[in-house]
Amino acid sequence: MELPLESVDAPLSRFRPRTGTMEAWNAAYVRVEDYLRAHRIHNRLHQSRLIQTVLERAARRHEANPALEPTTLAAEEIEALMDEWFSEVLDNKNHPQERVATAGRVAMLLSDGPQKWPYAFLDSQTIPEDFTREMRASSMQAGPDMTFSNMAPRPIDLGTISEAAGETLERFEKWPILRTLVLWGFFLATLLAIFRVTR
Amino acid sequence: MRIVSNDFIDRPRLARRRRTFFTAVFILTSLATWFMADLLWQDGGQLSVLEWTLLGLFVLLFTHIAIGFVTALLGFYVVNRGGDSRQITSTVKPGEEVPLASTAVIMPVFNEDVSRVFEGMRVIFRSLEETKKLEHFDFFMLSDSNQPNQWIQEEVAWVELCKQVSGFGKIFYRKRRQQINKKAGNVADFLRRWGKSYRYMVVLDADSIMTGEALVKLVATMEKNPGVGIIQTAPRLVNGETLYSRLQQFANRLYSPIFLAGLNYWQQYDGNYWGHNAVIRVQPFIDHCALPDLPGSEPFGGRILSHDFVEAALMRKAGWAVWLASDIDGTYEEGPPTLIESAKRDRRWCQGNMQHSWLLAAKGFRPINRFHLGMGVMAYVSSPLWLFFLVLSTIHVFDLVRSPAHGAALEIQTSFFGYIIAVPEAFTLFVFTMLLLFLPKIIGVILTVQDKKQAERFGGPGAVVLSALIENAFSALLAPVNMLFNSKFVVYTLLGQGVSWVTQKRGSDDDDTDWREAIITHSPHILFGVVWGVSSYIISPAFFWWLSPVLAGLVLSIPISIALSKVSLGQKARQWKIFLTPEETQPPYELRRLRQNLAECYKHMRPIESLRADYGMLQAVLDPYVNAVHVSLLRQRRPSEESRDYFAQLRMRLLREGPAGFTTKEKMALLLDADSMIWLHRELWCMPSQGLAEWWRLAVRQYNVLTAAPITALYR
Repeated sequence: MELPLESVDAPLSRFRPRTGTMEAWNAAYVRVEDYLRAHRIHNRLHQSRLIQTVLERAARRHEANPALEPTTLAAEEIEALMDEWFSEVLDNKNHPQERVATAGRVAMLLSDGPQKWPYAFLDSQTIPEDFTREMRASSMQAGPDMTFSNMAPRPIDLGTISEAAGETLERFEKWPILRTLVLWGFFLATLLAIFRVTR
Repeated sequence: MRIVSNDFIDRPRLARRRRTFFTAVFILTSLATWFMADLLWQDGGQLSVLEWTLLGLFVLLFTHIAIGFVTALLGFYVVNRGGDSRQITSTVKPGEEVPLASTAVIMPVFNEDVSRVFEGMRVIFRSLEETKKLEHFDFFMLSDSNQPNQWIQEEVAWVELCKQVSGFGKIFYRKRRQQINKKAGNVADFLRRWGKSYRYMVVLDADSIMTGEALVKLVATMEKNPGVGIIQTAPRLVNGETLYSRLQQFANRLYSPIFLAGLNYWQQYDGNYWGHNAVIRVQPFIDHCALPDLPGSEPFGGRILSHDFVEAALMRKAGWAVWLASDIDGTYEEGPPTLIESAKRDRRWCQGNMQHSWLLAAKGFRPINRFHLGMGVMAYVSSPLWLFFLVLSTIHVFDLVRSPAHGAALEIQTSFFGYIIAVPEAFTLFVFTMLLLFLPKIIGVILTVQDKKQAERFGGPGAVVLSALIENAFSALLAPVNMLFNSKFVVYTLLGQGVSWVTQKRGSDDDDTDWREAIITHSPHILFGVVWGVSSYIISPAFFWWLSPVLAGLVLSIPISIALSKVSLGQKARQWKIFLTPEETQPPYELRRLRQNLAECYKHMRPIESLRADYGMLQAVLDPYVNAVHVSLLRQRRPSEESRDYFAQLRMRLLREGPAGFTTKEKMALLLDADSMIWLHRELWCMPSQGLAEWWRLAVRQYNVLTAAPITALYR
């Protein structure tokens, strides 16, 4: 991991980026804070430690390339931090690199990580053993192993009357004009019948 | 081919039962037909074409009534004797421990209320857990939901439910990419993937509840009877809140026991399948019940919509028994809340049942299955036939009024359905018909009232009688409205047309039918009633009064429909002990739990109005956990060059413009693409605020408020 988390011991108030406006860094701060909260990291102390780590990493990159947005840099840094941390915690066994964060978050959710170990998130120094164990044991199985069967539709012999009616109907559907004419004929026949019975 | 064992009921005995049933139907219909023919004959000494048509219709319609009556009467006979010795459940002795086999409890869902669906599953899971037989059961939520919000909420709810009940590896969730062939296709898809792993499957509806005890009993009964393919339970209607749904559940609870007992009496192992709350032997179902398309295209042909009756017929054709187990308690479902919702459901069922006409003459089907299919068709076709009968009667009266010979007779005789008839004979026919219609209901009331304990469960003898009287009054008023609804559905189905419905304007506290919806839906009924009433009065005032019960229902359809849809009136009725059912006065543990859990769920803060419409998409993109769960559940795909460009363009648009301009298809396409979902999540959080649509900026601000507490199972 590029930056050990002991550096967060320095208070956030000492964070002074050399490049970029205060407004832009403020926006970056808010974004990281929002992202941590979206991960259910509600402990303020832990939050501010992580924010400082992330912003310091972002500030260093910003010095090298001031054209970049501090918000984007901060978001990228926290993503990178998470990828590294999840790889370490999960021991990165079965997951392709681009899916590590996804697997890690699922494990966090299933193990109730943010609630049970509120200081563990992104801490590479003192990861509780039971937390690691729980994270690695977490699995989400949407379905059991498949055991395929062939369930192909079998034709039903509808009988002579239905078959004949079916063929007629299918032919009918191909000739919309004939269908309309028959409908008109039916309507006329009904009118005639009513006329006849009321005479 | 599996042959149904004769051990259970010997053929001569079953044949006797069926002879009794059909002979009674035949005798009753013949008697009524004789009266009717005699009345028509009296008009002119011989039958005209119109009169022959009327008589033909009468025979058909009266047979339909007689079948219901005889079934109820046989049911009364059975109940009065203390029950039928020939019930499939009696093969498992009380207290007998039957080893169970692997069973999948499957719940196909399609855009249902997610809270209700998952809380229902939670209750069933817990109830089964308490029987200590959980190890034999797996649960499957089989989603066909095609709305982004539903889909994402289902995923979130599934994960939370599994976490809360330690259900991973026991409760599974499957979302189909393509919703081919609706519910039948959904179940078939499950069977193709996992069917081989289970000996039985219990099919539930999204609103079904079954107790653990009922599930265990069903599977045990299957294990004891290796020749049985399907056992169908008789679910009771519960959880009704509106006046309409409470009325329906009261009627279902009070009258159905004798009908079900009668049904089992004569159908035995030739029973029917109603599509849910039933246990099915998986392998024969896979082998014999895959449904082909019918000739022609929808709505009359094409894929079979009402699959259940056909599956029962195919199972029987293959030699497997199909039983009704109406004596199994702990099986429930919910009914539609309003008259209009009920009509919408009927519209679907009508189309499905009409398709069964193709199968009436299918080779190899058993006669009783043809009878079931025929009755299913008649359930809807009888409506236009009744309408036709009444209209012809009106024409007939007009004919009689115009004829001077009969004009004189009019003054000294009375009219029944348009026939100028001698009072005693007409009255006999009238009383006879009413007897057939109402006697089963009266028997149901008497049976309940005479059992003090049972009557108390309905709120007391007085409450039962009063509720039954009110129920009958409403039934009489609703019958002509349903007749017109169903007639329209049948005609539209025959013409290959769909029926459009007014979208309800939600917003009232209890989601009543609003006036706009009621006026637009019921205006044709009122118009029809007024025109018919005025013309019949002009033709003959006496005939008008005979018709008045039918006309009243039509003319008053708007206020009736609105009043019945009121939750507030449903609650008032409950306070006054009207339409009480045992499931309300002494609710079983599972229903109590469901109610409590749902009350908790619905307390959750709902997303603000401007975010609500696309809240699923919001969560799937923005929330790191929901995004991760969603991506994990998606199948990996290798996109083509074109699709990559298409998705790249869609993603950028989504972040820059927000989801408002997206079609459901576009949203679903993005949600189905794992790469897009990963990209969107990353980019949303990386992009400076000014690059994002205002909708997303608001979402980020609001989501922090909403996620102050960990995501609980279910947001409504």
